[in-house]
Amino acid sequence: MKRTVPLLIVLVGGILMMVQYFIPHQVSQSIFNYYTDWAPIVSSFALILGIGSLTRVHAHKIRRKADNWQYSWAVLIPLYLMPVLGLIWPKSMGGGMDAPSIFHFMYMYIQIPIQATMFSLLAFYIASAAFRAFRAKSALATVLLLAAVVVMLGQVPIGELLGSWFPKLGLWILRYPNLAAKRAIMLGVGFGMLATNLKIIFGVERNWLGGVGK
Amino acid sequence: MSAVSIWERMLNIDRRWIFLGIGIVSVVPFFLRFGLPVVTTDEVESIYNYVDSLGSEDAIFVSFDFAPGTQAENMPMAVAVIRHAFHNHVPVFMTASFPIHQTMMISAIDYVLNPQTEGFYQNVPFGEWERIREKGITDRDEIVAAWEAEGNELPDGALGWAFEGRDYALLGFAPVFNLVILGMTNSIETQYPQDINGNPTGEMPMLHEHKSLREVDMVLTCSGSGVCVWWVTFAREKIGLPVAFGVTAVMATDYYPYIQTGQVLGQMGGLRGAAEYEVMLEENGITPSTDKAFTGMDVQSAAHILIILFIIIGNIAYFAGGFHKKRLLKGGR
Repeated sequence: MKRTVPLLIVLVGGILMMVQYFIPHQVSQSIFNYYTDWAPIVSSFALILGIGSLTRVHAHKIRRKADNWQYSWAVLIPLYLMPVLGLIWPKSMGGGMDAPSIFHFMYMYIQIPIQATMFSLLAFYIASAAFRAFRAKSALATVLLLAAVVVMLGQVPIGELLGSWFPKLGLWILRYPNLAAKRAIMLGVGFGMLATNLKIIFGVERNWLGGVGK
Repeated sequence: MSAVSIWERMLNIDRRWIFLGIGIVSVVPFFLRFGLPVVTTDEVESIYNYVDSLGSEDAIFVSFDFAPGTQAENMPMAVAVIRHAFHNHVPVFMTASFPIHQTMMISAIDYVLNPQTEGFYQNVPFGEWERIREKGITDRDEIVAAWEAEGNELPDGALGWAFEGRDYALLGFAPVFNLVILGMTNSIETQYPQDINGNPTGEMPMLHEHKSLREVDMVLTCSGSGVCVWWVTFAREKIGLPVAFGVTAVMATDYYPYIQTGQVLGQMGGLRGAAEYEVMLEENGITPSTDKAFTGMDVQSAAHILIILFIIIGNIAYFAGGFHKKRLLKGGR
């Protein structure tokens, strides 16, 4: 029962939604609307599961004093502190989500700068990695290196000043060899996704059940 | 000191010197402002021309699908297209695919409406022009006439009025955004009964004229992740909504197949794409000057040149020091 019911839900739901997509009839549209109303509600339960699972994993790490267990506090404290500050904490004491509030302050002046900083660091690491990795060690590595240099110069105004063919060649690389390679990858991934989805819908692939009912 | 050890030292240079170099070239151009010319490409021109062909009877979506990490690249794209749309009186719906993306949406509209921004638009909040709506006036020119007849004057430096609910709607974030896109193909109001300020979207003139994505002319997804593809999958393929991409430079290479098939109208790739759009806005007199992306291109030029210099130096040291031979002797590649 524990396996059959979820498998049936996936089978019926999967086929229904696949067929519905291609039928522009009102009944089909009603099913679709019904689904789009329900899906966010069902998805919100996944959030509860996710928070529960995250809490359990990190609480376990802290209890066992596993490697870097201190960082688990850095996950758990904000995870629970932010909702408390935003939803429960009295407004007279800086609660609530709108400015001015502690929640808003932490969001605007801690979370956002941290995210921006993390991404900004990429420029430094890319420069260091380019210095060490882009070596003409073989014919293929040389092609990669030259393509990288041409595209990099083609993307910036100074490339145009060095030679008008830089942007043209850079764009040609992006529009043709790059496009062909990307399309091949996307087709491969697409067929893979289609096969996996069909396997899940028809119950061939059952790992998502997590071993229930075995 | 032998020659080999010099090459060896060059190859093993402390990476903090590289970091310092990047740090310097990232800061100095902001002060020197070279203003190197930016040449426009077909991918960006196609978006510009499409938006330029729209008018007050049309509408576009600008979807904020990026977080603060990529705002340096994505934000100028969104700002440029919003300013273009405002200039042509094209209503702009703004959405966000995740809660943090909504912050980016608010930052973008705040920038466009901020009197300190060169070439700003004067904001008229939804509640302030209620009297005009109650009279049943929905045509934009008539709204402006009625508003100015009430004694309101456009401030100095403002390029025009921006009526909330007629020129823009801040729809913001709604959970499970891919389903929200699907849902909006039937009704925008069902997915967003209120905007982020609590205004009922059903009372907004732009919602009366554009009830669903089927009645919208384009979506620009400014994205720092794969969310941009949702718009292709759930809106372009289902109802044929024209989709334009504004993606980060590292992502730009991924989406050329979509442009070639015509599934995507055009693409602004990274800061360069945004700078191209800014150049076209300035050249056509839509904005008084270029903006942050164009300024940032000087930094990017300097940084790219430095990285290329590092690559050249690394290769010179590698070959001059004979490391390519050693490597082969040790057991090949």
